[in-house]
Amino acid sequence: MTAILRPDATDLKLIGYYLGKVLLGLGLLQLIPLVTALALREWNSASSFAIGAAIAIIAWAVSDARLASRQPLTWAHGMVIVALAWLLGPIVAAVPMYLSGRFTDPVHALFEAMSALTTTGMSVIHDLDHTPVSEDLFRHLLQITGGLGIIIVVLSVFAAGGARMTTLYVSEARDERVLPNIIRTARFIFQVATTLFVVGTTALFIALIATGFSPGRAVYHAVNLFFSSFSTGGFSVMQSSMIYYHSAAVEFIVALIMIAGTLSFGLHLALWRGNPRDVLRHLETRTLAVTTSILFLLLCIGLVRAGSYDTLEALLRKGLFTLVSAASSTGHQVNVGDTYLYDWGLLAPAAIVGAMAIGGMASSTAGGIKAMRVGVTFKSLTHEIRRILLPEAALVVTTYHAGRRQVLRDESARAATTVLLLFIASYLLGILAALAYGELDLTQAIFESVSVGSNIGVSIGVVNPGMPDGLVLVYLLQMWVGRLEFVAAFALLGYLFSLARGRAST
Amino acid sequence: MNGRRAQHRRAPTRQLLLGVVVVLAALLGGVIWLEALHPQLDATGNVVEGAPPLALDEQPTCRRFVDETPIVDIRERLESEAGRARIREGFPSGGRVSSTQVFLCPSAYDGMEVTYVGEVVGELLRRRGGAWAQVNDDDYALRTGPLVGHRERAGFNTGLSVWLPEQLAERVEQPGRPALRGDVVLLRGTILRADPDDGGGLTLRATQLETLAPPLAIDPPLHVLQIVVAAVLSVVALGTTLWARRVRRR
Repeated sequence: MTAILRPDATDLKLIGYYLGKVLLGLGLLQLIPLVTALALREWNSASSFAIGAAIAIIAWAVSDARLASRQPLTWAHGMVIVALAWLLGPIVAAVPMYLSGRFTDPVHALFEAMSALTTTGMSVIHDLDHTPVSEDLFRHLLQITGGLGIIIVVLSVFAAGGARMTTLYVSEARDERVLPNIIRTARFIFQVATTLFVVGTTALFIALIATGFSPGRAVYHAVNLFFSSFSTGGFSVMQSSMIYYHSAAVEFIVALIMIAGTLSFGLHLALWRGNPRDVLRHLETRTLAVTTSILFLLLCIGLVRAGSYDTLEALLRKGLFTLVSAASSTGHQVNVGDTYLYDWGLLAPAAIVGAMAIGGMASSTAGGIKAMRVGVTFKSLTHEIRRILLPEAALVVTTYHAGRRQVLRDESARAATTVLLLFIASYLLGILAALAYGELDLTQAIFESVSVGSNIGVSIGVVNPGMPDGLVLVYLLQMWVGRLEFVAAFALLGYLFSLARGRAST
Repeated sequence: MNGRRAQHRRAPTRQLLLGVVVVLAALLGGVIWLEALHPQLDATGNVVEGAPPLALDEQPTCRRFVDETPIVDIRERLESEAGRARIREGFPSGGRVSSTQVFLCPSAYDGMEVTYVGEVVGELLRRRGGAWAQVNDDDYALRTGPLVGHRERAGFNTGLSVWLPEQLAERVEQPGRPALRGDVVLLRGTILRADPDDGGGLTLRATQLETLAPPLAIDPPLHVLQIVVAAVLSVVALGTTLWARRVRRR
């Protein structure tokens, strides 16, 4: 039997060194709201961002001076660094949030930061409608940073050691390298985001001006809306989310940005290179098209049968938009959360839960089980049925298109179903935790747990500033493992186990 | 011998992990301490006077297509003797409702004429013939004022989307913003559960508006200690960065 080796101080130093770089990224990010706060004379907010940025920069400087190492990164290092980065990042981001005085306690501030970075988009902030501009901007900046991937952002800014970084990139739940070179991949992602930012915010700006906004406020809302939509995060400037705008044009543009956010960066590259055929025959595109169509049909049946809406416009603006928001894992709301429970009957919310569970595409900013895994699981199911029905001597080969034609292998099918089952386990954990508090019914518990566990953000009203800390902690765990798609989280657990029980290397 | 050597190797690992735990604990303690020292304003003077009482004291719920009995019950209670008494007092048949009551059973209020009190927040989105306004009736609107300089945390903002005809929209002086409570208005109008002119949104179509409280600007008290800590930490961050650069060069 192979003994587990205990990581030594050199391993921990290496991990600390790379975590320092991630913290530097988050520290520098806080300089943007800091400058905004100074410009708007929001002095208390400015000082809280200065504290947050300073702590992150001090941590980086110490790690850079004391922990720098030329030791190569192993897969285990990569996994542990990513898992810890997604824990430490929210902790650092929670510092200015808690200092703002808008959170019940530090755990709630941590929830908000984790929700922002994992692009879940659930919020527990008190009095959002009177929140200083800089603090609101910070929430949205965290979403775009988290949506693109903290590691990707750091790679783009501090591009060095490309070979070492591959392991970090893949560990951050991105199994598809868009371009052969990892730094070029990171820069391509940045390039896509920047281009869409210019196009998206311009379109939103025009729509918001037509909606009745002043130019200054239109810019502010357009930028934040783009951040939260493309990152598939779903935070909003106003508590009433998309309801606030009363505009079909704004909803349409936001829906397009959400769809762009949920497309994998591999498909963005195909579109970028003028190859839409690749997009259309990709297994993920087909899976999402089929599942979303079926779910939309169910949603419409549910809404019409319950008598919730009786016009096509209402079905599209309230029903379809919510479905796109859920399927893209964004979480923008065109309804008050209570509506899903009290005004939508039973079938329509179930369709939304289905869309939230599936989520968006792999290697995108989206969350959820991911269409690729659902597609592969379905393919493996049909493969098994064909194998049973055909003569025993027949060689059954199942293929699918994902960038190129691929043969379905046992390992990919097993990996997809394992993660799918782990997501279901995460949903069950959240459901049981919510039910344990005794004040929620099953619909609420299921809806919210799937939304949190898939990093979606459409809320039925369970997540709120008065939520008990126990439930907050369970939801925090769900968001974290959901964003990491479990592997890095389990690797961290294994690493901790080997720290405690492993044999020292000689 | 081997055991002692292993123990010796384990020491730096333990120190590193212990160091991380200590730093995180210090960070948590420091942040809690600093937030607790935030200077506070007295928010008791921000209560809005003159709002009529709610027609229903509790918040009954109903579920469309699942449990619709409360819909009839709520409508009957709003149109009961007490409701009629309110009509005599000059209020519409629905009495005053809160946004939460409406959200918990929208069907019961659909098409009903009601009174609603809240703060106009954000902006007035002017369209042909009027403007859309977000009117919140949470505690920040009616009791404590915006969450600035006090710790009266009262949860999410809640409110209704209100359509104000031109002549009513013109009477709104200033919607709420950071550190500013907007006009608090008493509205009379009709609740529409799925307003066809708003793509199926739940709205209040206002017909009358009275201003109960003018805009209230709040000057946030400066947290001097936090500013000092920020300045000190910024200097330390700069110093540590320079030190790190020198160490790496060596």
